[in-house]
Amino acid sequence: MSSNQHSNELTIDQGVVLAPVLTGASHEVSVVLVPERARFSLRVKPSNLKALSEASELDLPEKIGASTLASSTKILCLGPDERLVVSDVTSGGTLRRMFAELSSQISFSYADISHRNVAFEISGARAVKLLNTGCPLDLCLRAFPVGKCTRTVFEHAEITLLREGEYRFYVELWRSFAPYFVRLLEKAVKSR
Amino acid sequence: MILIRCPYCDEQRPEVEFVYAGEAHISRPQNPNLLSDDEWAEYLFIRKNARGVHYERWVHAHGCARYFNAARNTVTDKILMTYKTGEPKPSVEEIAEAAK
Repeated sequence: MSSNQHSNELTIDQGVVLAPVLTGASHEVSVVLVPERARFSLRVKPSNLKALSEASELDLPEKIGASTLASSTKILCLGPDERLVVSDVTSGGTLRRMFAELSSQISFSYADISHRNVAFEISGARAVKLLNTGCPLDLCLRAFPVGKCTRTVFEHAEITLLREGEYRFYVELWRSFAPYFVRLLEKAVKSR
Repeated sequence: MILIRCPYCDEQRPEVEFVYAGEAHISRPQNPNLLSDDEWAEYLFIRKNARGVHYERWVHAHGCARYFNAARNTVTDKILMTYKTGEPKPSVEEIAEAAK
């Protein structure tokens, strides 16, 4: 990828077709493919976190599993030095330029992973049950409150899970795993 | 399913998120050139294979992606305690205390 010629118009085929059974045929659970997003994997040592947080004016979460949401930008803390930044495509360009500028002053790394992942929004009263058909985590509100995020697994696919509401989850995974993930969800919804 | 406590996430997490990574507290010789073949082979291949408490590395591969150490009883397969990379090897008493 050329370093200085970034277009804000990233358009890719996300490669996923959702069956009607997932997209709201039932009121209890629905799965929606999130349109294209700009994504960055941000690696910064805990000692530089505050400086980066201030300089970028992004509210970078400190604790593993914490997330912040500002306008359209979600920031998920996945590891001690790892944050996932997800924003809409237009702000993606601004973020990219800002990270490039700041990287000369503060020691951190950022990688554009916009096209690596696709995201789904899973919502409805049975969302937890649906996720738990493949995800071994305890997703009750006490163990997994609103705002908590983590990397985990869904059957054999690695997913990043964020709880956005009591009955609403945001799931990211590698694009190549998406058809597998969708087929499993489909099967789970049908066979309940 | 076994639950393993990740010292970085500070949570009990399902075993399927983790990958085993061999015996812990084995440091690479400072100057391999000075070692005989036997000493080098010892470093590379010879492991304790303990019966009882075993110090071992794990990685929270599908989680925070960090390596950490665990003390596990190889007879009961019970993970007695986990601790961050770089922390000193806990004594038997400390392990017994943590496993309570």
